[in-house]
Amino acid sequence: MNFSGLEWFNAWVLVLLPLALLPWFNHNLDKTVAWVELVPVDPLSRFFNIGLKLLATLVIAALVLALAGPSLPEQKVERIGEGAEIVLLLDRSRSMDSPFAVKHQAAAVSVGGDNSKRSVARDYLSEFIKNRPDDRFGFVFFSTKSVNLLPLTYDKEAILATIDANALGKGLSDTNMAEALLSSAAMFEGQAYRGSRIVLLVSDGGQLLSHEDKETITRLYREMNLGIYWIYLKSNREMTLEESDDDNLLWVDIPERKLHKFFTSIGVPYRAFEAGSLEAFAEALAEIDRQQYQTLIVEETLPHEPKADALLWLALLALLLLAASHVYTFWGVKKAHE
Amino acid sequence: MMLSYQKRISLTAIIMVLALLLVMAALWLPAIKRDVKIMDALFVLDITDSMNVEDAQVNGENVSRLTWAKEFTRRAFLDMPCGAHAGLAIFSEARTLILMNPVEVCASYHDLTRMLNAFEPHMAWARSSEVSKAVYTAIRQAKDIAPKPTIVFVTDGHESPPLHESLFPKFDGKPGEIRGVMVGIGGDDLLPIPKTNESGEIEGVWGVNDVMHQDVYASLQADTTVNVPKTRTEHMSSQKRAHLQTLADRVGFDFVSSPTKPGKLVDAIRAQSETRPQTIDYDLYSWLAAIALTLILLVYLPYGLLIRTDD
Repeated sequence: MNFSGLEWFNAWVLVLLPLALLPWFNHNLDKTVAWVELVPVDPLSRFFNIGLKLLATLVIAALVLALAGPSLPEQKVERIGEGAEIVLLLDRSRSMDSPFAVKHQAAAVSVGGDNSKRSVARDYLSEFIKNRPDDRFGFVFFSTKSVNLLPLTYDKEAILATIDANALGKGLSDTNMAEALLSSAAMFEGQAYRGSRIVLLVSDGGQLLSHEDKETITRLYREMNLGIYWIYLKSNREMTLEESDDDNLLWVDIPERKLHKFFTSIGVPYRAFEAGSLEAFAEALAEIDRQQYQTLIVEETLPHEPKADALLWLALLALLLLAASHVYTFWGVKKAHE
Repeated sequence: MMLSYQKRISLTAIIMVLALLLVMAALWLPAIKRDVKIMDALFVLDITDSMNVEDAQVNGENVSRLTWAKEFTRRAFLDMPCGAHAGLAIFSEARTLILMNPVEVCASYHDLTRMLNAFEPHMAWARSSEVSKAVYTAIRQAKDIAPKPTIVFVTDGHESPPLHESLFPKFDGKPGEIRGVMVGIGGDDLLPIPKTNESGEIEGVWGVNDVMHQDVYASLQADTTVNVPKTRTEHMSSQKRAHLQTLADRVGFDFVSSPTKPGKLVDAIRAQSETRPQTIDYDLYSWLAAIALTLILLVYLPYGLLIRTDD
């Protein structure tokens, strides 16, 4: 419950607060006097009488408030950090189930093992994320329909668990890259510009995009100032995304090259990494890590700050005086009876 | 009983000193270690078309089964003790797709609910609903997660295409190896199923001739003892309690039908789970402060109202 700018863990305890008035309504500690008129008017004792009641009220109130468990609520603060805001676009198509960077044909047939492209992507991306304290990550669900599964978050545990889950089970039969690219842009919609914005695509293939999709993607990525990194997991080591003179005829019109050409043409920061081996994959991520340390506004959540201790201190100080006065009274009465 | 003035004064002094010591202890006594039992759960939500039927209630309002499932899962997160882990998955076609491995429910509550809110019928990658196979794949994948989570499978149990009693998909795992709770949702009456189009929008309902009313094997047989003619109702949906119970028995899960309180589900998960202990710091301050408060109140309670004083 929220009350007076604080959160109260056990708010119901607050109903006990009126008990703090008890010291004003009883005479438990009064001495029975035969005739009140006999007692001389004594301003000093009046002062002490009221003072002690105030102290008792203070002790009871402070203890009740402390028991109600007050804490300062979570607070969001902004600070300047270094890093980037990165949307992860991990291909979950069936082909990602086959092993990555195998040297001979026999190994290429085994599917879904520990060295599948999806497992490798999980391992390297997890390392990458753990090394980037200030980055904010988002995750796009990449299927026939794309969904912004995990909007940009600073919660490393959540994004790592999502990447782990992505490596489980079998791939999906149908993936739609244009949808996924549009979905990634939507992730930044309505967000204040905090610093470098990246869409990190990890896939082992490209797709042909319709003319209409290309136009929308170009417009959105320019408007929102998004950069693209593409880690292309090659199945064929000789094939390159850039055309060359001694090209194999089979490679001329493949979707990967068309996608690469499109990314190069839209005029946003773009870089492709062609990873044919584990080393190349690691090197690609290390390169992104090096490049993406620009000033970034980081929103940090300060956790609940319990405030019970301050109230206990108040109770302690008041109780110290109260207890001292009662011990003194006890001593005085004892003396008088001797 | 009326205490003499002298006794009252000495008792008060003793109580005040005791209370003082207790408050000091509340401030300075270090937190003690205590073990709590935590569990790991993987929530699998059915997102097939039959989950769009609006026969579930949230806060007295009729909502779709999927809306109920999302809201109920969110409340279950809140009811799980901090330290417990929860993950998320969806089911469509014939498989479970895990989307987030279990994470700590308190620290990651925000992201868990944001992902949960993103679950929509249009995430489905095919228009069929083979519940049994999806449960099996969930079990298979749960084995790859460490520590192994308890599966919470939220579904109405509607199989499409239908299953033949004797041709139940084979479960190749060991019942009970992965623990789980089947959560049944949906009413008892057969209701039309909203139909989603390619872009995930609801467009009318499934018609009687749109769906199969027999399993694939039986429908191809001319023999009426195998292909038993029956009422064609597979285009409508209700909660398939008997089927969910059979399925739960087969894989060693618990079955909870239309639970009303998330706390009950969390209890069922806890009962099923192999809980693991986690040590937490436990601050005794509230106990000590409460005793101190009680002692001080004893001094100031208005005994005069209870006891007649005739002196």
